[in-house]
Amino acid sequence: MNDARHRLSGAALLREAVRGRRRAVTGGTLLLMTHQVAEALVPVVVGVVIDRAVATGETTALLWSLALLALLFVVLSNAFRIGYAIISRAGFAAEHELRVRLAQRVLDPAGGATAGSMPGELLSIATSDAKRAGAIAHVVAFGAAGIAAIAVAAVVLLRISVPLGLLVVLGLPPLLVVVNRMARPLVRRAGEQQERAAQVSGLATDLVSGLRVLRGVGAQDAAVERYRRSSRDALEATLRAARMEAAFDGAMKVFTGAFLVLVALVAGRLAAAGRISIGELIAAVGLTSFLVGPLEMLTWVGAELARARASAARIAAVLSRPAAVVDGTRAPASSRGDLRLRNVSHEALRDLTLDVRPGEFVTILAGDPDYARALLACLARDVDPQDGTIELDGTPYDAIELVQLRRTVLVAPHDAELFGATLAEAVAAPAGSATALDAALAATTADELVATLPDGLDSSMTEGGRSLSGGQRQRIALARAVLAQPAVLVLHDPTTAVDAATEARIASGLRRVREGRTTIVLTSSPALLAIGDRVIVIEGGAVAAAGSHNELLHRIDGYRDAVLA
Amino acid sequence: MNSLGLLPTAGAADTRRAVRELARPYRGRAAATLVVLVAGSAAGMAVPPLLGLIVDRVADGRAPAAITQPALALLVLTIVQATLTAFGTAMIARLGEPMLATLRERVVRRALSLPLEQVERAGRGDLLARVGDDVGAVADAVRNALPALASSALTIGLTVVGLAVIDWRLALAGLCAVPVQALTLRWYLRTSTPVYAAERAAGSGRAQQLLESIGGAATVRAYGLGDDHGARIAARSHDAMALALRTVRLQTRFFAQLNGAEWLGTTAILLVGFLLVRDGAVSVGEATAAALYFVRLFDPLNTLLGLFDEAQGAVAGLARLVGIVGLPEPREPDAPPLPRDASVRATGLRHAYAPGREVLCGVSIDIAAGEHVALVGVSGAGKTTLAKLITGLHQPTAGEIFIGGASIADLGPTVTRRTVGLVTQEVHVFAGPLADDLRLARPGASDDELWEALERAGAAGWARALPERLDTVVGHGGHRLDAAQAQQLALARLALADPPIAILDEAAAEAGSAGARELEASAARVLAGRTAIVVAHRLTQAASADRVLVLDQGILCEAGTHDELAGAGGRYAELWDAWDQARRVAPRKTPPGP
Repeated sequence: MNDARHRLSGAALLREAVRGRRRAVTGGTLLLMTHQVAEALVPVVVGVVIDRAVATGETTALLWSLALLALLFVVLSNAFRIGYAIISRAGFAAEHELRVRLAQRVLDPAGGATAGSMPGELLSIATSDAKRAGAIAHVVAFGAAGIAAIAVAAVVLLRISVPLGLLVVLGLPPLLVVVNRMARPLVRRAGEQQERAAQVSGLATDLVSGLRVLRGVGAQDAAVERYRRSSRDALEATLRAARMEAAFDGAMKVFTGAFLVLVALVAGRLAAAGRISIGELIAAVGLTSFLVGPLEMLTWVGAELARARASAARIAAVLSRPAAVVDGTRAPASSRGDLRLRNVSHEALRDLTLDVRPGEFVTILAGDPDYARALLACLARDVDPQDGTIELDGTPYDAIELVQLRRTVLVAPHDAELFGATLAEAVAAPAGSATALDAALAATTADELVATLPDGLDSSMTEGGRSLSGGQRQRIALARAVLAQPAVLVLHDPTTAVDAATEARIASGLRRVREGRTTIVLTSSPALLAIGDRVIVIEGGAVAAAGSHNELLHRIDGYRDAVLA
Repeated sequence: MNSLGLLPTAGAADTRRAVRELARPYRGRAAATLVVLVAGSAAGMAVPPLLGLIVDRVADGRAPAAITQPALALLVLTIVQATLTAFGTAMIARLGEPMLATLRERVVRRALSLPLEQVERAGRGDLLARVGDDVGAVADAVRNALPALASSALTIGLTVVGLAVIDWRLALAGLCAVPVQALTLRWYLRTSTPVYAAERAAGSGRAQQLLESIGGAATVRAYGLGDDHGARIAARSHDAMALALRTVRLQTRFFAQLNGAEWLGTTAILLVGFLLVRDGAVSVGEATAAALYFVRLFDPLNTLLGLFDEAQGAVAGLARLVGIVGLPEPREPDAPPLPRDASVRATGLRHAYAPGREVLCGVSIDIAAGEHVALVGVSGAGKTTLAKLITGLHQPTAGEIFIGGASIADLGPTVTRRTVGLVTQEVHVFAGPLADDLRLARPGASDDELWEALERAGAAGWARALPERLDTVVGHGGHRLDAAQAQQLALARLALADPPIAILDEAAAEAGSAGARELEASAARVLAGRTAIVVAHRLTQAASADRVLVLDQGILCEAGTHDELAGAGGRYAELWDAWDQARRVAPRKTPPGP
């Protein structure tokens, strides 16, 4: 399973995306090719109308040539309408599929996908990169359509006159390539300037995000002044960029325009010499000016392809990150909640051995946050310890199916995210029995909090509970953990944001509600440490002392200093 | 008091007035720009007649050499047109960009001085969207839509003139397309506006879900919610996809109808041209020129009509920006009294965030200059609200606050914020070099002063260890500071701002116990020499304060020194017991070990 993940490349991902919807991509591409060809033929048919009807005055010729024009427009319009919709649907579907796949990988119980990325980075991969990679459908279709249009125009021009056709076919593409090459540094510098200009927007949102902080130290005038300076810088940069872009566009227009004049001159002379007709003259001029469109489109296709590949490579990199742990196959033997750690060494942990008996309430003081971090990661099986074993009810940790394991051993993160739009959703309140819910809310004093809110548990909260205060969030998160009623509950600094009186009530509430179930609390708060059947002190990566809170206070100076401040 | 409701959006008339006001300094520049653009488009107008002239000369059976002269004229025109258009485009930027810069500066200035209550009530997201997305939408319009709009509109207008110069009947034929286009545009704008709004909403719903699930991936895994959240993401992504597809369908229908208009106009011109040539009213070349005029119009027309969307979005954004700019400035007194000293007095303070739900019910306090006071109480007792009122960030619904003997209302916002500083548990590290972050609090500070402030806040150690010390980029996208470091940075800012009165609102809450003690020491150093009000959960801070004020359900229920209150058997004694009991070393129950 994992091997398949390892060798995934961006290009393969794009090929898969196209192959997965081959029929849609092919159909859409053919229709868009048709549209481009029809567009190319508009000036040709206008030439025919003038040549056969306007110049001759023949009514029948007028009727059939105008009918031809109408037919052309019907084809052109419908081919685009249907083709573009088909291709867009294919592109959106590819984008959607990549996004869902990425999300599944990130949320996979085996973990490992988030290694080394900030959430913001993954978010941008899941949104913009998925979109860019999905645009491969458009790249394929418009690329093919552009090539088709150029081919048709070339054929028509060559049929009108071989020298004229050769002039256009051999002259125009190199001209555009040369102009683009010459302009590349200009465009790049313009892009850099635009980027500098874009920073000003980031500054504005950053300052508004920190509005309260600014106000607190009376820094808003300084902030306004900083923004004003940055805005003026951005203005200069934008104006420079605009001048460069205008110069580039102007140069482009001069070159393509001059080439068009050359074609008109040659075609005009050929027509005057009687070698081509007036209609063909019009068609030649019209086709040459039309050709600029598809040629520029191919430039766009090239750039878009490069972007799609870069984005696909970023997606592939996340998809192929190795899993942090390998999923087990067995169900937990029972749910007694018997945990045994044997000689566990992982990161800061050195040879840690610890037994937690079923139903025991153990509190742990980690002398260094690194010990806590490593121990929590091992208990949650976010990682396998570098050395040593962990057993749950006699079954090795790594043999148990991950989802089952975490249902049995819940390691509630300290900075847990709240989900949902209401408090009820945030605590994951079950639909049926209210007893467990009431007990969990009461044990964590969340019931008092709920009582002060206008709609109780149905009160809404925004953005992961950021509308709540720190203490409120912490109590709701704790209530959720308790309500999950796992056989083993592991908590980490669950009461840092609540006052002493509330903390004391939470401590006794936890003790009561977890009676008979295994509970481990990592904390440095004396109120919580004191309620443990046993306090474990981790120092130097291993258990340094164990005993009751009181006993340790007397026995170990370091414990007293760490706890009683 | 409407001013405290949601953030306003300006009406159409106000928006126009604001734009005119912004444009006033650039009237001359605008006229020059218009002249250049018109000249450029007019030069372009001469191209089809010259091509028509070539056709005529061929039709008249002239020699090949007769083609050279109109071709040379064409070349000159092309160069003139391209040059003028380039200048015109650059001039549009010189016109629109300074206006845009002025507008965004005004928006940010007003946004940063809005009453916090108003921002919080409206949701910070709204304000963020305005200074971010709306400014962006208007900027894009100025940068991309405006030049295209100007040149397209001019080309179209001049084409009609060009057609009329050849023959008015040809112009009329070309205008056949206009009603179709007008109807199409009306239909499109009506239909698309709600669809686009729904698409944007679905897109932000998707982003929200991704942020929640990916940002909270650890929690998702811990609770085994992976499948559930995967399904939620899939559903949101699917919604967004369905709506994006709907907008595509609308667009393709829109362009298909515009194709119909193109066909109608081209056919009409060819038909009229046919009749006019037959009657000898125009030459074949002139009919050709007319047809070419019209075919050349396809692109500018589609551009113009397609841009209406973007323009609509930009106008909506503009209205939201003008709404912010139009908010009344905070009132500053003409000659504010100077606070006599750093004392704080408040009488009968009341405050309610929502009507009928008072969080402060008549609180009076009196704090001497230089006194350190701890504000204590359970969560929800009103401590934070009291702190916000004293800082002048929120207005009391009743009661008055005096700083150094002068009422806050008389002092005005500027003097108040220079006098009272506040650090809360909300930490924000401003993106950019560390030195820039600190200098927000004191713009002219020297590096030595910055280091001194960091030293006092206990942050000098880690700041010195940063890769580029004061120049290290911190905050969003830079070096990440942990919660305790960010809080020390906040204290350093306070030291630099150097207000005579400082309020700390649970500035040590999130740092764990060891970190909290360190932060308390930092805070004590920064607070030395100031009047200080410290909102504290950790009662060690209360114990070391000169005086403790206890709030309970919006009422000041006790005040006194720690020693007085701890033994008084009241609310504070209860809190202190809970705190102290956990920390008390009970008599030994077990004999001492070996």
